[in-house]
Amino acid sequence: MLRLFRIIAFALIKILGALSLCAAQGDDAFIRSEIRKLADEDVISRKAAIMTLAKSGDLRVEPILESYRLGEFYLWNGEMVLCRETVEDEDFNEFCLLSDVLTAEPILGADGEPTQIPLEELEEISPSRAERKLANSAKFLVRLSSPEPEVRMSGAKKCGDPPGIIEAVAQLEEMAQNDPVKKIRYIAKESLLLIRLSRTSLEQDPDAHLEIVRELGEIKSLRGLPRLQEMFDKLMVKVEALPDFEEGTDIEDLEPADEKALGIYKYAIAYKYAMNQINSYQGLVGGVGNIFRGLSLGSVLILMALGLAITFGLMGVINMAHGELMMIGAYATFEMQRLFGHTPDNSSDWYYVAALPAAFLAAAFVGYLIEVLVVRHLYRRPLESLLATWGIGLLLIQLVRLRYGDNIGVNAPTWARGGLEVVQDLIVPYSRCFIILLCGLCVLLIYYLMNHTKVGLRMRATMQNRNMANSMGVNTQRVDRYTFAFGSGIAGVAGCAWTLIGGVTPDMGQTNFIIDSFLVVVTGGVGELIGVICAGLGIGVLMKVIEPLGIGSVVVGAIWAKILLLIIIVGFIQFKPAGLFAPKGRLSDV
Amino acid sequence: MNKAQRIAEYKEYSPRDSRFTEERYLLFLEDITAVFDGFKALDIEALGIEYNELRVIIGPNGAGKTTLCDVVSGKTRPTTGSVFFDGGDITQQTEAEIALRGIGRKFQTPTVFDSLTTYENMELALPGHYRLWSNLFGSTTKAQREQIMHILERVGLTDALHREAKYLSHGQRQWLAISTLILSDPKLLLVDEPAAGLTDAETALTAELLLELKDDHTLIVIEHDMDFVRQLDSFVTVLNEGVIMAEGMMHEVQKNEEVIEAYLGR
Amino acid sequence: MFRKAAITHANSQPVETDEENLWQDKKIEAERGLVNGELSIFFRRYVPWALLFVGLVVIPSFYYLGLITIGTVNMLGRYMAFAIVAVGLDLIWGYTGILSLCQAFFFALGGYAMGMYLAHHGGPEGIIDANNWKIPACLYVVYPYKVGEIPGDALVPWFWKPFYTLPITLVLGLLIPGIAALAIGYFGFKSRVRGVYFAILTQAITVAGWLVFCMNNMKLCGTNGLTRFDRIAGFKLTTPHVKVSLYVITLLALVGVYALCKQVVKSRLGRILIAIRDDETTLRFSGYKPYIYKLFAFGLAGMIAGLGGMLYAPQMGIFTPTNMEAGASILVVIWVAVGGRGALSGAILGTLGVNLLYNFFTSEKNLLLFTWRAEYWQFILGGLFIGVVLLFPGGLIDLWHRLVGKAK
Repeated sequence: MLRLFRIIAFALIKILGALSLCAAQGDDAFIRSEIRKLADEDVISRKAAIMTLAKSGDLRVEPILESYRLGEFYLWNGEMVLCRETVEDEDFNEFCLLSDVLTAEPILGADGEPTQIPLEELEEISPSRAERKLANSAKFLVRLSSPEPEVRMSGAKKCGDPPGIIEAVAQLEEMAQNDPVKKIRYIAKESLLLIRLSRTSLEQDPDAHLEIVRELGEIKSLRGLPRLQEMFDKLMVKVEALPDFEEGTDIEDLEPADEKALGIYKYAIAYKYAMNQINSYQGLVGGVGNIFRGLSLGSVLILMALGLAITFGLMGVINMAHGELMMIGAYATFEMQRLFGHTPDNSSDWYYVAALPAAFLAAAFVGYLIEVLVVRHLYRRPLESLLATWGIGLLLIQLVRLRYGDNIGVNAPTWARGGLEVVQDLIVPYSRCFIILLCGLCVLLIYYLMNHTKVGLRMRATMQNRNMANSMGVNTQRVDRYTFAFGSGIAGVAGCAWTLIGGVTPDMGQTNFIIDSFLVVVTGGVGELIGVICAGLGIGVLMKVIEPLGIGSVVVGAIWAKILLLIIIVGFIQFKPAGLFAPKGRLSDV
Repeated sequence: MNKAQRIAEYKEYSPRDSRFTEERYLLFLEDITAVFDGFKALDIEALGIEYNELRVIIGPNGAGKTTLCDVVSGKTRPTTGSVFFDGGDITQQTEAEIALRGIGRKFQTPTVFDSLTTYENMELALPGHYRLWSNLFGSTTKAQREQIMHILERVGLTDALHREAKYLSHGQRQWLAISTLILSDPKLLLVDEPAAGLTDAETALTAELLLELKDDHTLIVIEHDMDFVRQLDSFVTVLNEGVIMAEGMMHEVQKNEEVIEAYLGR
Repeated sequence: MFRKAAITHANSQPVETDEENLWQDKKIEAERGLVNGELSIFFRRYVPWALLFVGLVVIPSFYYLGLITIGTVNMLGRYMAFAIVAVGLDLIWGYTGILSLCQAFFFALGGYAMGMYLAHHGGPEGIIDANNWKIPACLYVVYPYKVGEIPGDALVPWFWKPFYTLPITLVLGLLIPGIAALAIGYFGFKSRVRGVYFAILTQAITVAGWLVFCMNNMKLCGTNGLTRFDRIAGFKLTTPHVKVSLYVITLLALVGVYALCKQVVKSRLGRILIAIRDDETTLRFSGYKPYIYKLFAFGLAGMIAGLGGMLYAPQMGIFTPTNMEAGASILVVIWVAVGGRGALSGAILGTLGVNLLYNFFTSEKNLLLFTWRAEYWQFILGGLFIGVVLLFPGGLIDLWHRLVGKAK
């Protein structure tokens, strides 16, 4: 209840503040008058003006304060002017190009030319050292008062970064208590602690210092980690210089020197404890994040492997051009983006809605052509089909390369940028969520198609006994054709999904995906959909989980993770040669 | 001899007693079951094949005949139970080990090596050349060549001596498969449907061949063709739904009502 | 031929082939009648010797007469090194029926062995490490220093040292690919990974190997590869005589490998390999352990590929990880397929044919209406893959047999 009240109250304050700010922004005169005050004779008045400007929360104030700090303001006929550039005439007389104090745009004279004033006519305003320092700090404070949460957040973050803006403490304290955005409250608190950490020294006030260290550990501050590490390292140098305690020394018998040493140990332990707290939390969060990354990678692999497994099961055909079908899906997405004129600055998110079916259709169409022209002649001859489709892959890659060149950029739609912070520091990117969802949907769709529709029945019948199905009136040729096209289309969808999280090149399928998705099929077995799903997720997650593992400073890394995974798969095949879910009984001979 | 009698007789011996197999049974299956996905394809309490016996196994489709062969030859591991052969337990051995111990198999469809000629197929079946080096440097002796020619003459394949097996007719392939089996000289021959797809004359010749082999080999013949079984005139085991339903000579079995209902009566 | 075999031994349709067989029988008889004609016997007997004569005598003398450049001789030498690899692949693929997509990996293992020897004796002189070993120039320029190390800390890694002397290099260049092949084969064949599964597995291994060799901190010179070769056994690689000698040595090695494989194929073991291709299961029931024979063939093919790599490196003057890319392995397959699998001479023919084609089409040409660019080669290569599989499953050698038959 109290909390609700607090939120409402704060919201009211903010709204009022925003209104007044709007007024302030609308009324540039206010800022201008404050700027004029920077030229006051009175130091106190000048400092007050700086602070007022900082509190305005108007981002335009930032460059103004910077200009003030650099001494770019001048008085000209009692007016405040900004001069950033000077020019010289033939006689080496210097002239100032006048700019507007607020907008920094050149002031134009009657002739439409920038106004030039001889330098001698201007009265320089040179702030004192203290004022320069204040202006510098105030620059950061501007952001803290902004109505935009993102701006406030970046401001709060900056204030905490070394060396720390001491002037911001009061405002940060306020924000840590009352800001409506939880993340900002956290960052404000973190920055506050970091500022205090650098201001309280261990020697002078160990208790306060250690309390801050403890709190940083408590809130699992990732930004605090390098600072703590630095301080810990410094302390460890001292610890190493200390004499060893004799074994069995009673705490009661410690000499004063020893007591000091014991203190250092105590501090080191406090640092280490806080660091461990942060590390273990970040490790946990990182692990969950990796699993999530693995799941989304696995989802793309599943989308790829499903098509492969179906065509291999149905026709005994290995399609090495499957990766290229994915690539075609990605390029179809690119084309849609171009058609809709989607750019990072000028976004047109509907392009992606159109891109999904476009990618499916483009890849399905190419798949259909491949089936009709080549694959049809290669049923039950996997090795030959492997070679022929590799050739098709080469053709497609080269065609796309000639048309689009080597590298294109697909920009994710705005809703797929950024992510959701589930718990502190665990950010789940929307793009990856979307891919997992998309994969789930496709799997459900395929499951439904295979098991609950007539088309699926025909497909399964053809898969199990082609001749029998044929004699019962199933047009197996058509079933093959559409199945192949469907599998290809799914690869296209995978390509479309991939554009959200990865780069697009003509040979992306060949270098990145075809082998991995085949390994998924090999591991999962061609018999069952579920095998592909388990294997896809397993391989995706393992890949991403192994990658950051390491002993000491030696990290496994992407390449060794891949190799380790391959070894795991080879080992796995020793026990289950036909994959996770192998067909059993008489079918297994085929 | 009825089923109960026979099982009682089996049980007098302990299969693990080496005397047992050495004295009487070349092959003994004890409590064999084979389960695929919850479906019991085979459930045999006891089945013994004596030395120099020609045993015919019949049964309707899906009775477990081929599964039985698979279990004996090591292609399928039984879910429970043991297979004893020639005084040893072969349940856990691989196909090649079992083959080396002396069980030869002809599959339901004649399996010969398509790209090799008749003669080359026979050469591969010569016993005692399973090692890598002997195959790299060894060559076929004159005696072996004569042996090959002798068998091929018997089945009339000498004309097709240097023809690749994929160009042989179905009957010729059947015989080539049987010939390679004979040449490899196993102690026990598992012959799965040797008469399938053969003409009457060819069937008769096959029966004659098998009976000749009985003199110094032990055979298990799996067959559908009743005429062929009658020609063999041997002890018959009837399998139905994986279980031994009846055993006895053909004329005895034919009178068994259960069998008639399950199989012959159809 | 191959398609036929595939259909007839598919267990599911035993009877269907009966009539077709008879027909096929006659057709083959007819074909054989032609092939076994006098002309064919003449060709079969004398063409190989004639080709050998051309390779050994005519081409070097053409060079010394000034009719062809040293570049051409060198190019032919490199293509023959490729042909050696192809013969090995034909043994494992054409005869044993195992499609291996890691021949390029074995090739590169051999190539790297020789390349390391050449790098030891190449490049500018004078960079000596703390253990008094001369650091190969190509390693020195991309040496992966750890944090805090200075250029003076560079050391010749232990695995570079055995490759300092030529005899050890030659032995290791054969042994390492051979052992790698045995290891891969053991895990693959023992668990009965077959057909496409094995092909995919080997391709995955090739990619893994490629990734490792590309890593700079493996101290294998990363993507730069081994460069700055200078001398082999004391002879300068750039002199034409050395190039001609290397060409002749490669040709002789090719003949030797061909003869060895021919011997294997002709022996009983060769027939077992064919039996494995036809029906591995049946062979197992006949008492053979197919995996041992597969291991033998795979290991031999691996060593042969390594030999090819060792001969290629000095002729190319550089050896980089691109030689072991996934595509490179499939390229070997297409050489064999174009030549005609299951015929060792076809592998050689196909390799030389495809590579000469490559050489021709990767130079810019002004045709009547448009300019032919080197990158269009990919289209020809892709077309070759499709065309050979769909239209000429027998390859060049099959075409040759037919031509010779028709010539009568």
